[in-house]
This record gives sequence, C-alpha cells and structure tokens, in this order.
Amino acid sequence: MQRNLKFFMAALGLLVLIGLVSLRSLHQRVGKLSEREAAEEKARREVLAPPIFTATDVKSNAQIYWAEGPEKVAPVTVELALSADPVQRARQVLRALMEDPPTPQQRATPPDATVLAFYILPDGTAIADFSDSLASDTPSGVESESQVTNSIVRTLASNVPNIRRLKILIHGQEVDTLAGHVDLTGFFDVNPNAPLPIGAVPAASSPANAAKPAAPSPAKTSR
Amino acid sequence: MLDPAHGGTDTGARGENNIAEKDVVLGFAREVRGELESLGYRVVLTRNDDSNPSYDDRAATANANRNAVFVSIHLASTGAVGTARAYYYQYWTSFAAPTSITAASANAPAPGAVTWEEAQRPYADQSRRFAEVLQGELSTRFSGSDSAPTGAAVRGLRSIEAPAVVVELSSTAVSDPSSLTAMAAPLASAIVHGVELFRPAGALVTP
Repeated sequence: MQRNLKFFMAALGLLVLIGLVSLRSLHQRVGKLSEREAAEEKARREVLAPPIFTATDVKSNAQIYWAEGPEKVAPVTVELALSADPVQRARQVLRALMEDPPTPQQRATPPDATVLAFYILPDGTAIADFSDSLASDTPSGVESESQVTNSIVRTLASNVPNIRRLKILIHGQEVDTLAGHVDLTGFFDVNPNAPLPIGAVPAASSPANAAKPAAPSPAKTSR
Repeated sequence: MLDPAHGGTDTGARGENNIAEKDVVLGFAREVRGELESLGYRVVLTRNDDSNPSYDDRAATANANRNAVFVSIHLASTGAVGTARAYYYQYWTSFAAPTSITAASANAPAPGAVTWEEAQRPYADQSRRFAEVLQGELSTRFSGSDSAPTGAAVRGLRSIEAPAVVVELSSTAVSDPSSLTAMAAPLASAIVHGVELFRPAGALVTP
C-alpha cells in the first residue's frame, strides 16, 4: 500500500513537471505567434497608410489627442517630423493619430480607418476624406462617435494653425452621421480665427461659398 | 415628445443575445410615456413600432407640436454599464447649411430667418438647461454617471424646434437582457422628474 502511494506520488510529480514544461513551451509559442501577427499587422498598415515625408520636414513636438478612457480624449506630446506645408502636416498628424497610438487602449479611431485625401480651401476650410472604416467600424453611440471626431478635430487644431474649420467626408461622400449619431453635415471648428492668405475670403463671412465644401477647386490636394 | 432612436433596418447598437438598441429604447419610451401621461402630460412618440422615420420626419412630428420638450432615447454600445448621459446640441460657430438648402432660395437666408437645418439654434440655451436638470436626475439614479451634461453635434436634435436632449444609457454590452429592462423604471423616473422641474405640466414657455 505504502509502496503504491509512493509510486502514485512520483507519477503525479512527473506529470506536473511535464505539464509545467509544456505550458512554458506553449506560452512561448503563443507569444511568438502574437509577435508575428503584430509584425504582419504593422507591415499591412504601412502599405495602407505609408509614412509621409516632405522636403520641409522638421522634428517637432506634436500634440496628438488619443483616447483616455471610454469617452474622453487627452493630448500626448510626441516627436514627429512635420512638414511646413499645412496639407502634408495635417496628413502627418492624422497618420500618427490613426496609426501609432502609444497603447491599444489609447486608440481613438478604428484600426482600419485611413485618410484617403485631404484638402485645404483658400477660406481656411479643410476637407478630410476618410475610408469607410471610420464610419462602419466606429461603435454606434453619441459617446463613442464624439470621441472619434474630437480626437481628429483637436489633433488638427493643436498642430495645423492654418485650418479654420473641418468638413469630414466618408469615401468622398457627405454623410448624415458618423455611425448614426454625430452630425457630419456641418463643419467642425478647428481654429476659427486662423490667419488666411492675403485676399482670401473668410468662411464665416461667405455663407454661400461655405455651403459648397466639396465643389470649389482646392488650394492643394493630396492623395 | 419622446423619440425612441433607430428602428426598422437601422438596429442601432447591438449586443449579445440579440440585444438591439432599437427594441430596448422603444420599451424605454413606452415606460416613460406611461409615467408622464399619469401626471397629465400629452405625450407623442416619434415611432411606436419597428419603423424608422428619417431625422427630418421625426423633427416634423416634433415641430408640429407647440410648447413641447423633446427627449431622444438611446442605448450606447460603449461606456460603463449602468450609467446615463444627457446631451444637448452643440453648435459649431461655423456651421453652415448644406448646399441644397441655400441653392433652393438662390440667396443666403434672410437676416433673422431660421433654416430647417438650424431650427434648434434658438433653443440652444433652453436645451442646455434641460440637459443639466435631466443629468442631475440621471446621476442620482444611475451610479457612476457624470453630474453635468455634454454638448455634442447630435444629428437627431439639429432640426428640433423645442428644448431638446438626447439621453443615452450604457450599454448593449450586457450579457443578461434583463439588466437593461431594469433600467426602464429609473430612466422613466429621471425623465419625469426632469421634465417636471424644467417644465411643470401646463406651463407655457416661449423661446
């Protein structure tokens, strides 16, 4: 009896040892798989939204508004190479916002959303055209949709002083709402008192022009 | 005016066990209606079935009723479960009407004229006060909720010619649908008390 018990305990100990070794190996394999997925995801995203470099890039401290909790956004200072061209500068900070959150929890926009085009009109109105994912992958709700628009508007307001107001398009189209709640038919204030090029008519004093955001020839375009 | 959000093919937020925002908020609205009617209020729902009136249809229904207050009821897919928030329409200073509206009149709107797109603007202060009162009532019934309301450009409020708010509860991310049903009574109580404080039954208020 005593001998059987010893044999049983030894077998149990051996099984526990084998289990621990297997568990460690399994953990390492899962870790490697996860690293590979992250690397593949990074490579995929670099194809979807490649880094933007211009001749006037200067290392600067940018304020990027990422998520802070489920509803708010908060600025994080990061060093970015930013262009002197406001259109490219806007695309650079939006790319940082959408591609490089410091942690997954701080991501404020859907992972697959990208900027398709960005324009700034002479009256200080910016037009940002986002991929479908910005609308289709944002969770439905005033709170969640506001977090997305706030992160975009505040990031532009803090880093691109030339933009007075922003119009958001989804895949080239004007849409009623982002995901059923937040109004995208109007314009978001960015820097309402931003200086304009000499001779430009401010958007606020030109309602007829301001009502046609997508039609006039853009000052600069970029895709 | 009570506005159960979404409806029809527009389910709104979705959760496990076939939880759909459109169904839950319709139940909430019916509960609130019963409470308000028992106090002598006349209550109109923008929908009382699984239809999905457009934003403009809902606004037209609301604007046909004078001296109304408008409460749109939503259920979010995010946020701390069991919390509630009141929103009022926050106008951006540079908001401009879509092309179709100004093109129809060939000219900019006459000074002082209020366009359909901006019908909520004259009521912005009243809506904010209504939201403040309502958020106060919600925060005492839904633990963890903010004490102040939030301004946001909520599309469904923009053309409402009355004090108008959105009440959004969290969330569809519950595993047991009965926990949502349990929110109906405190929500109804908060809205009833909020309406009573903001506009006692029979009182007439002009903008």
